Amino acid sequence: MKKISILLSIATVLFSACSKDDNKDTADAIKGTTTLTFDAKVGSEDFALNKDFTISGTTYNFTQLRYWISNVTLTNTDGTVYKVPSSYYLLEENNAIAVQDGKFEYPATKREDVSISGIPAGTYNRITFSIGIDSTYNDNLSLQSGELSQLNGMTNIAWMWHTSYIFSSLKGTRAGTAITIETGLNTNYRTLSFALPANVTINSGTTSHFTLDVDVIKIIDGLDLATTPTVGAAVPAMMTQVADNYSTKAITVSK
Amino acid sequence: MRIVLWIVLLSAGLLACDQSQPLPEAPVSVPGNFPAMPATPGNPLTKEGIALGRMLFYDTRLSGNNKRSCASCHQQSLAFADSFALSNRGVSGKQLHRSAPALINLAWASNGLFWEGGSTNLESQAFGPLTNEDEMAQNLYELVAELNGVPTYVSLFKSAFNDNINAANIVKALAQFERTLISGNSAYDKGVFNEQEKRGLILFNERCRSCHATELFTDNGYHNNGIDSDFSNDTLEGIYQGRFRVTYDSADLGKFKTPTLRNIALTAPFMHDGRFKTLEEVVQHYSNGIKISATTDNRLLHQQVLSAADQAAIIAFLHTLTDTTFIHNTQLSNIQL
Repeated sequence: MKKISILLSIATVLFSACSKDDNKDTADAIKGTTTLTFDAKVGSEDFALNKDFTISGTTYNFTQLRYWISNVTLTNTDGTVYKVPSSYYLLEENNAIAVQDGKFEYPATKREDVSISGIPAGTYNRITFSIGIDSTYNDNLSLQSGELSQLNGMTNIAWMWHTSYIFSSLKGTRAGTAITIETGLNTNYRTLSFALPANVTINSGTTSHFTLDVDVIKIIDGLDLATTPTVGAAVPAMMTQVADNYSTKAITVSK
Repeated sequence: MRIVLWIVLLSAGLLACDQSQPLPEAPVSVPGNFPAMPATPGNPLTKEGIALGRMLFYDTRLSGNNKRSCASCHQQSLAFADSFALSNRGVSGKQLHRSAPALINLAWASNGLFWEGGSTNLESQAFGPLTNEDEMAQNLYELVAELNGVPTYVSLFKSAFNDNINAANIVKALAQFERTLISGNSAYDKGVFNEQEKRGLILFNERCRSCHATELFTDNGYHNNGIDSDFSNDTLEGIYQGRFRVTYDSADLGKFKTPTLRNIALTAPFMHDGRFKTLEEVVQHYSNGIKISATTDNRLLHQQVLSAADQAAIIAFLHTLTDTTFIHNTQLSNIQL
């Protein structure tokens, strides 16, 4: 009985301590919305599925481009940082995908836009986000946040016999040979941060829009896909290269 | 002797902040000689969650053909193992490539699950057997729809998680029940030994305890115990290569998880592929059957051969780790909706 009452008092303290966040703003009405567009490219061309592209003299044809954008923050010109809650977004362009050995099908999807609402009114000059899933969520598929799901073919149970997320996946053919380029180790998680080209004012009366270019040529930069057409856990150094490509060259702010 | 510990952490209380009415934590009986049960703040044990997990564990609705449950390969009478080396009792009827492990004291298995440690927690691990086409072959969408057709499940998920039925809550409930599969009430725990068993314990501590360590009888580590010396076969996503298939570190070739030896007399056959039929074969292997390769555990090299009497004493000791209250515990037994 004594234990129970101690527990109850601890619980009371904890729970009363957290109920204060609810009405910290004078009104939700002043909060704003913005849209991030991740515009997939092949060099200067628009990315497209099932279409031949020539990269360094070799023909590529892609069937899938998918990657997670997570843990988005926006930095106000006054230095305060707004962390977008539950920000796990699956960006993708893919043909229909057989999930769970074909037990069901994930439909063909094209998704380049992420709409973020509830942003405190202010002027922002920096955006930060990660490619992949942080280890807390990557290591535990039962923790749910944002768009994380076991059902979209971006978890892998047999792959490495790991139960975790695939961070990024690019599939297609190179000179007629199938290629698969995936990342997903906790060490492949990368955070990117960009100063915005101009300050952006966000409030209930504004419409704002950031565009980031995602260049597939840069994603595969430096990979010897002729020798190793499958980039996965068996070639960790190549996975690291892909993760580095995403964070250092493949994604740029265009406007 | 057992004491009752309240498994409560401040972090669990803090995490529960965004929920209106968190459930009280469940009291779980932990043997007095065990370390404290590690906390699982993302999925705290509750009476409701454990009861739901138990029901799901025994429910054949969790398989694609509605004929297999978790308990099909993890039977209480066998300390939640089965009696096969490599079972073919999954939905496809194909032979599996791993022996079903006994589910014992998994709440303390904090260094990876599966024989090579590819999964980090019981929640994520459950997706493996649930969805593998040769095991339960369950389409997760179908499973959620099927369980939603059972009004009792709808209300049980509501009371356990204050949420709808979804894949995440299914594995959370299963993990909660699995964490209550606690065995620590054997003759060993009571200190009841005859002379042979006592001598066996001394030999065991000398020869086996460094890996089968602590009161849990496992170090939760990965070792090459010398049952093979050639790991060049990389077929089936490296299934014959041990932990290497997870880490791709050549130092991990042929390493497999140290299983607990609690209830070991109930869980034959032995090793990750069930190659040894009896404890006699196992002890003989450690006595004079070690195959040496680059990753063989150092502690197994240059060991003295055990006499027949010593081998028999170790085996007699291993039988003292059988916990009959565990396999007859009615709180862990089959309950069906």
